[in-house]
Amino acid sequence: MLKRIYIDNYKSLVNFELSLDSISLFVGANGSGKSAVFEVLQKIRDFALGKGKIADLFLPDNRTRWQTLSTQTFELEVERDTDSKYKYELAIEHDESGKNVHVKYERLWVNQNPLLKFESDEIQLYNDNYSEGPKYPYDGVLSAIQSITPRNDNKRLTWFKEQLERYIVTHPIPSLIEEESAFEVSSPSISLSNYVSWYRHLSQDQGMAYQLTSALRETLPGFQYFKFENVGRQQRLLMAYFQIEDNQSVGYRFSELSDGQRMLIALYTLLHLNQGGSQRKYILCIDEPENFVALPEIQPWLTELYDRCNNSGLQALLISHHPESLNYLLASPIGYWFERQNNGPTRVKQIQVDDEDGLPVSELIARGWLMNE
Amino acid sequence: MSKYTQIVVLCEDTQQWLFAYYFLIGWGIPRQRIRRSKYSFGSGSGEQRVRVNYPKEVRELRRYQHHLNICLIVIMDADTQSIENHFRELENALATTALERRYENEKIAIFIPKRNIETWIVYLKGDMVNENDEYPHLRKNESDCKPSVTQLAENCRNRQPLPDNAPPSLKAACKELERIL
Repeated sequence: MLKRIYIDNYKSLVNFELSLDSISLFVGANGSGKSAVFEVLQKIRDFALGKGKIADLFLPDNRTRWQTLSTQTFELEVERDTDSKYKYELAIEHDESGKNVHVKYERLWVNQNPLLKFESDEIQLYNDNYSEGPKYPYDGVLSAIQSITPRNDNKRLTWFKEQLERYIVTHPIPSLIEEESAFEVSSPSISLSNYVSWYRHLSQDQGMAYQLTSALRETLPGFQYFKFENVGRQQRLLMAYFQIEDNQSVGYRFSELSDGQRMLIALYTLLHLNQGGSQRKYILCIDEPENFVALPEIQPWLTELYDRCNNSGLQALLISHHPESLNYLLASPIGYWFERQNNGPTRVKQIQVDDEDGLPVSELIARGWLMNE
Repeated sequence: MSKYTQIVVLCEDTQQWLFAYYFLIGWGIPRQRIRRSKYSFGSGSGEQRVRVNYPKEVRELRRYQHHLNICLIVIMDADTQSIENHFRELENALATTALERRYENEKIAIFIPKRNIETWIVYLKGDMVNENDEYPHLRKNESDCKPSVTQLAENCRNRQPLPDNAPPSLKAACKELERIL
């Protein structure tokens, strides 16, 4: 579980720190820094997994505008179990011209013991028993973590790397989902535009595909199953079959489904990721999951999410402005209020709701009363 | 007819909601058919919120129950009061809003765990309980009750009677439920 995030000198996030639970809801005005937290998680994930160079991911313009600091600092604390607490540290140095950027240091610790240190153009690895392992020069254009290959004596290190693959940061936009897939992908894009390619990968886990199909049958009236159709040597088209009158089935291309239907399919796919008994648990960062979804569908999805976060080891970070989500989720103390005074740094407070008189929390937020006491 | 909410749960807090939700799912009700009432959110006195809003939910139920198969589940902890006293208070709440009292065959089930919902949870997990002691709230771990509540639902669906040592308020609740499900 991701327990803590620390971010300094990224957009409005200055000396910003947040402790997280199995489910956390980010609430606040537009431009208060909620999505910036998701961006950082996405960038750290992509960097550590070798999906981008440091200069391509961390742009000079992403630094806090009203500061002149050249260093950006990021920390993640991840709890594997009660005995293993990881800490990842990344510091990035921009030069004055803003044209060059390099990693100042990148470190990984478990229970305060080092597993990896990169600084001054050198990587020092440590074995699982914390003894010094290989040391070698490295340019730091890509993350030191991504260069690690699994061995018998670096299981702790590879656990962290593989765990990062389970970070999913998304702001789903159903209209951008492509109906065809040329190849499988192991992780979705932010907008889920590559959902079909991702589902092509996920559906190899038949248990997961079965559970998802069952959930969608309960959710989408008449839905029966998905089927990939070959439309070229590599190209696959995802078809969704629905039952109509006289027990007949009709197949629709994914792009023919409504935005709401595609959104529900995406949302329930995200919920079913922890299927299959894997020890590694997903961390879902979903920006505005209720968009496009019909009102009666929101609470059942939230209830299922809440359940899975508490019982299946799933972790969720949500950003929402929707009254249905706010009222449902803020009944538990899992909300964080983001705010900025005079466009200054983001500050965050835990949301405590005391509305004995019965105004729904969404109404209090809409009135701007909740956190202005 | 399109799917619609069949069971509205009016309760004091998340623990009671999850207890009801897991039970209903375990009974076989599709999750889209179950909804936590809008009056079941917020802190402060949950008992008061349930009592004040009970007539509103009853009024809506009566408005739509003629053409929809819907029911209302109400949960409120007995705390230090008697179960009978709570039933009386709910009845009074209807009377003060000019609503008729709950009909015998009406699809309104009222569960009053004594001393509170945690008493039932501790019992279902296999511990001895009594209805006078206060058992700790499972704050932030409200979902922990899922396996035992799911098991309870399965037993109830199979018409297996509760053991003799079950809290009387839980036995009463199971009978109440049989009436509406």
